[in-house]
Amino acid sequence: MNAQRLQPAFVDPVLDAQRGFRGALKALAEPGLIQSLPAAPSLEGLAPATYALCLALLDMDTPLWLAPCFDTPLIRANLAFHCGCPLTANRKEAAFALLGEQDLLDLSGFDHGNDRYPDQSCTLLVQLTDLEAGRALNWRGPGIKTQRQVNLPVPQAFWLERQRRETFPRGLDVLFAAGHHLIGLPRSTRIAQEHA
Amino acid sequence: MNLSPRQHWIGVLARAFRSELLPHEDALRDVDYQLIRAPEIGMTLVRGRMGGNGAPFNLGEMSVTRCVVRLADGRIGYSYLAGRDKVHAELAALADAHLQGAHPSPWLSDLIGALANAQAERRAQKEADTAATKVEFFTLVRGEN
Repeated sequence: MNAQRLQPAFVDPVLDAQRGFRGALKALAEPGLIQSLPAAPSLEGLAPATYALCLALLDMDTPLWLAPCFDTPLIRANLAFHCGCPLTANRKEAAFALLGEQDLLDLSGFDHGNDRYPDQSCTLLVQLTDLEAGRALNWRGPGIKTQRQVNLPVPQAFWLERQRRETFPRGLDVLFAAGHHLIGLPRSTRIAQEHA
Repeated sequence: MNLSPRQHWIGVLARAFRSELLPHEDALRDVDYQLIRAPEIGMTLVRGRMGGNGAPFNLGEMSVTRCVVRLADGRIGYSYLAGRDKVHAELAALADAHLQGAHPSPWLSDLIGALANAQAERRAQKEADTAATKVEFFTLVRGEN
């Protein structure tokens, strides 16, 4: 067994999981605003915020699609132990997907939900190295009063890929995590391309 | 039913009384260890089968406490036990980890042997008490052909 690699997760499983869930809710309710998860544990290869989201959101009912860069024995063993989530190689079945920056250019295959149940879409958890080092873009939409300037360091091609897959109410919700911080990008947010 | 040695000692540890484990507490904790899953209380659904082979039905829920520890040398000890005793769960998990060592004999003979004997004795006592209350039912043959 992978027993040697197991590590402790949340110090206080109930409250820390609730804090992680609250962070994810706030991030999606106020797109582009940085939320922090100070008490998150870390695991080699996963940033504390990413790991906290996994621990808070995943359980045996949520198949997870792991990007190759996160598919290590250590991460597999700890997710299996602490979350109990099944891993799937089929993007269509995944309720959550764990992606790195290099996986953002191809979002094909993930479940976008359907018109009757748009909430059944796959939620993407994307780990970045930083949340503020990118080009400034203006975000608009629900949860933002007029517009909000966000400097997310993601390739330009990601925004085109996202736009191509957007058929509201179907679509993909994204949570970007780096270090102890996260930013939410729900499907309803519109990105203004002009300006810098 | 064939139980592996580990299944046997995990069962013995789960059925032991907390008061039987406490005398060994210092020896069990005298090692570098880490709580992978701190003792936590939850519920589990107990299911039964009428007569042991009928259709399964839900009997009810019971509280369960579980714990997982890792010793500094990488051995992982698990415990699952009925009830809400977190100290018992932690000691049982530690004992499971110790018992998986290269030379488990001292723990196996000192701890598990004694606990198993005490449990067998309690069980025999209870069965003897119950046997004294046994009632034989029989039906008289009816007069019809």
